[in-house]
Amino acid sequence: MISEHHHPAESVLVVGGGIGGMRAALDLAEAGLKVYLIERDAGLGGRVAQLGFMFPTHDCVLCRGTSDHGYGCTRPAISPAFMDHNRHPNIELMTRTQITQAVGQAGDFRISLLHEPHYVNPARCTNCGLCAIACPERLPSEYQESLVTRMAVHKSAPRSLPDSYFIDKGEYCEGCHRCMDVCPTDAINLDEEPWKETINVGAIILAMGYSLTDAFELAEYGFGRYLNVVHSMQYERYVSRSGPTEGLLLRPSDNTPPKRIAWLQCIGSRDQKHPYCSSICCMYATKEAVLAKERLDDVHCQIFIMDERAFNKEYNAYFYRSTEQYGVQYTRCRISDLREDPKTKDLFLQYPDPENEGHIREDRFDMVVLSVGVQPPKGAEMVSSQLGFDLNQYGFCQTDKFNPLETSQPGIYVCGAFSSPKEIAETIIDSAGAAGDVMRLFQNQLGCSFSTREFPFLSDTEFPPELDIQDQEARIGVFSCRCYPTMEGVIDIDSVLIKAAGFPHVIHTEEIGYGCFPEGLEKIRNSINQHKLNRVVVAACSHRTHESLFQKTVKETGLNSYLMEMVNLRGFCARVHPHQPEAATRKAMELIRLGVGRAGVLEPIYKAAIPPHKRALVIGGGVSGMTTAVSIADSGFDVVLIERDEYLGGNLQKIQYLVEGENPQLLLRDLVNRIIAHEHIEVMTKTELLEHSGHVGAYHAVLRHEDGSQSEISHGVTIVATGGEETRVNHYLMGEHPAVITQLELEDTIAHRTDEISNLKEIVMIQCVKPVDETYEYCSRICCISTIKNAIRLKVINPDCQVIVLYKDIITYGFREQYYTEARERGVLFARYDENHPLQVEQVNGGIVVRMQEQMINRELNLHPDLLVLSTSIQPSKGTKELANLLNVPISNEGFFLEAHIKMRPMDFMEEGIFICGIAHYPKFIEESISQALAAAGRATTILSKKPFHYGGTVAVVDPEKCIGCLTCTRTCPFEIPRIDDQLTGVGDLGGAAYIEPTLCHGCGTCTAECPANAIQLPNYTDDQIMVPEFPVLGSWIKL
Amino acid sequence: MSSKSFEPEITAFMCNYCGYMAADTASALRIEYPVNVKLVKLPCTGKTDPRYILKAFEDGADGVYVVACPKGNCHHVRGNERGELRVEHTKRILDSIGLGGERLNMYFLSGGQGKSFADAAIEMTERIRELGPNPLNSTS
Repeated sequence: MISEHHHPAESVLVVGGGIGGMRAALDLAEAGLKVYLIERDAGLGGRVAQLGFMFPTHDCVLCRGTSDHGYGCTRPAISPAFMDHNRHPNIELMTRTQITQAVGQAGDFRISLLHEPHYVNPARCTNCGLCAIACPERLPSEYQESLVTRMAVHKSAPRSLPDSYFIDKGEYCEGCHRCMDVCPTDAINLDEEPWKETINVGAIILAMGYSLTDAFELAEYGFGRYLNVVHSMQYERYVSRSGPTEGLLLRPSDNTPPKRIAWLQCIGSRDQKHPYCSSICCMYATKEAVLAKERLDDVHCQIFIMDERAFNKEYNAYFYRSTEQYGVQYTRCRISDLREDPKTKDLFLQYPDPENEGHIREDRFDMVVLSVGVQPPKGAEMVSSQLGFDLNQYGFCQTDKFNPLETSQPGIYVCGAFSSPKEIAETIIDSAGAAGDVMRLFQNQLGCSFSTREFPFLSDTEFPPELDIQDQEARIGVFSCRCYPTMEGVIDIDSVLIKAAGFPHVIHTEEIGYGCFPEGLEKIRNSINQHKLNRVVVAACSHRTHESLFQKTVKETGLNSYLMEMVNLRGFCARVHPHQPEAATRKAMELIRLGVGRAGVLEPIYKAAIPPHKRALVIGGGVSGMTTAVSIADSGFDVVLIERDEYLGGNLQKIQYLVEGENPQLLLRDLVNRIIAHEHIEVMTKTELLEHSGHVGAYHAVLRHEDGSQSEISHGVTIVATGGEETRVNHYLMGEHPAVITQLELEDTIAHRTDEISNLKEIVMIQCVKPVDETYEYCSRICCISTIKNAIRLKVINPDCQVIVLYKDIITYGFREQYYTEARERGVLFARYDENHPLQVEQVNGGIVVRMQEQMINRELNLHPDLLVLSTSIQPSKGTKELANLLNVPISNEGFFLEAHIKMRPMDFMEEGIFICGIAHYPKFIEESISQALAAAGRATTILSKKPFHYGGTVAVVDPEKCIGCLTCTRTCPFEIPRIDDQLTGVGDLGGAAYIEPTLCHGCGTCTAECPANAIQLPNYTDDQIMVPEFPVLGSWIKL
Repeated sequence: MSSKSFEPEITAFMCNYCGYMAADTASALRIEYPVNVKLVKLPCTGKTDPRYILKAFEDGADGVYVVACPKGNCHHVRGNERGELRVEHTKRILDSIGLGGERLNMYFLSGGQGKSFADAAIEMTERIRELGPNPLNSTS
């Protein structure tokens, strides 16, 4: 086969089609760049496609975006762009593809790709499934983690992308050709050869994900020998509703619901061989235990854990809920032995008895889940040598602290778990950030690869001018796919079409072999033209997979896309009633009658368009605000950066050194210099936001300056980067004793007045110090590392100084674990306290005494430190609440800004056009702030680079003349979008009526159904279009 | 009509997300369910209007049910819960006009639950078969 790809070097290669790669590809495509998305497997989705639920919200990943379920989510997270018939025109998807060779440099890479054949042509595969029925070769299902089997001919997941079968032609396939013989569309070619091509790209993003620790590797846990020992991904498949049991949790040996389940943490993490923390296992084990508790009565869930690392937004609360509300039991130890009773297949664990000091107890469990860790992705070494970037000592991609998304090779970027173990939210941040980082390289090409969301499908082509059908009688054409063999023997298409010809307004009926093939589409277009049809009913398959294809087809004839109505004959009839052909034929008639009834009252729908103001407003001049400003400005758009203080820098001004060794003050100087010198950035210090109005693409802000003067700006996007601060506390002798200080104060002392601490004998550090009146507990995430950083520094200065850290859980996730290890090696002592064993700090004879109950040795300790250092929690900056009110955005339980979705949209607000980054979102490390700042910049740039920005369409519309201003819609809306606009005139000429902002409305229609005055309608789902008053189709059935 | 030969005719409203996806999953996995169920797509079950349900009964449906996303996992956050309130309200209307609220039901399914989608159709068909035809049909 000959390569047909001639994209210029301005295109970008994304390696890996998991959630990170898809997110990065989508953002780049939306910014108007061409993207090649390559994936080694046969379908997109990666690990996330195997997950049923996400912690801590238990959102079903199905809906929030997995390839398993067609990326059907219309929220702009990971969305319809990844449906087969509605692919983003700027994304070229290549599955079963790998890099074989690479030459060139940033701006001009030439990459050789090897495409392994699918042996099934996706364009001709109708998913009829005959090939899989014919296939004799049964193999373990990778998607279901070997819990069930699949055939050699299979789909990687029920709704994979590409949406077609593929043949796993390993050694086991004997080339019997049975699949080829039965394929009705000749889509299979077993002789297909691998083929190569070379593409030219300007930049590369690596989103290669991770692999799981091989549970067989740790033989002591009996995986593979003991039936009831499963690994965590297998458990995920059990509880997933798309799993082999549709979510029923059964123990493998006898398919009975387990009564006692144990989770063993750190399997392949924090050990000699894998000295890093896998970051995700604490939370997923908690989730898995809660899911068991929700589904099974009286199940005992026990998690054997070292530290509970719940270090993100809402995670701590989730952890507490799991113990207090659900009764999940946590035992702090690491299990090293496990045995099976060969008769009952029950499992026995030995561990130190927490209630009986010094004794070992043994407990029986029905099922044991190994919380396997995160390993570098397979093939990482190969790709690193091909592309010439470095791996770190653990085999993950090497990154720089201040350039967290860049590899050691210029022009090659990395995101997600390939750079260090991380969860979905962090991966999304990274991916959007890497995309944002790449956009600045292509500032002249942004928006050049045209694509539009003007229509209900994604498009890059021109369409004929639209026909005016307003005054015409409905002329309906009914097209039905025969889709051999799906309808064969079930639905009598001929009779159905004869019946359909008699329905009101139907002037043409036609059978088409395969409606979705080019020749089928051509037939539809010709008939629309020939019979001057103005409404079209396509009786074929699922709306979710094919609606956009047929919407585009009718658009190509000059009809509005919304004048097409689909009927799902295949999914709702042929495939689910194969043994009742007569009744199924009648149902097919009935479904088409419903479709015709609805088609007769369909109306054209149009989106509105505005050109966005090509300017961004960035609020906050710390590391996040500065990074985001520079990134947007580098992409070629104007930025107004406002900072409340006199100087730029925020918290970065107070950071003297980092545990990794880099100098944060160099970063600060560099950023400030770039900000000041940048032609596209206007900095306003001592300036605050006073007013903010408008909507995405067209915001208006009033700013107040130090001298009391005000100025106004118009801008297209707003980015919030207002940061956070160390909390002040007044217990533990803080403020009463001069030797009680915070970690930041200690850092300042170490850096500037080393002599003050160089001779101290004993220093105690207390972690997790929060104000006494603060009841909502959350992990401030960065304090453990700050403490360890300072403790190591103290030990370097004076090895004889006793440094004792009193902690609850040590949060050193990812590769930060090495500094925890280093601190202990240097002799820093760590002792655990908790709510049940609180600390007592007193002043005795001018000295400090810290009393605690040490749990390991079960003794009271009295410490007499020369210096007591408190790690106080991080809180949002002052004025966060007020700013949230001004911007009309929400605040989380912790007091930080609340993003649109905690996992899938961590840098977006629900209001499209406002973004968030840095500590204003949640406490985070510098590199994490930089990633999120780049992510916010990238998301903002996708909007700024649009020529016209389209919005509205199928969104709720209020008729103010019917509105009585009762506020029902404002209370009902799940997104709090409707508001009373006092400029409008309601019923009876009274001032004020409801207004629904079309850029914000999600089109669910909840308000329309609740409005007592019936003043709100949802286009495409108006009351008439659902009830079809003149045509009783909603409840009655055809009498044959 | 004797209740033995009676085949109920049922209208099922479903949301475009989990409801439709569950129906699609049943289709992908070829899970069979009773044939006399007519499926009507809504953007969200929050769009469920009592008038739509009543219109279906008025047209002659023997039973109606609504398929929504699982509670707490609605694509539109809590559209399904608003829809449920209206379904409950409509049941009371059906009781008061003598049609009987038990002819109406609501299911909360995830998009992966093809089997459960089929079970819902089976359960409703059996229930309506017991209850007999829509009384409006026999009076006409």
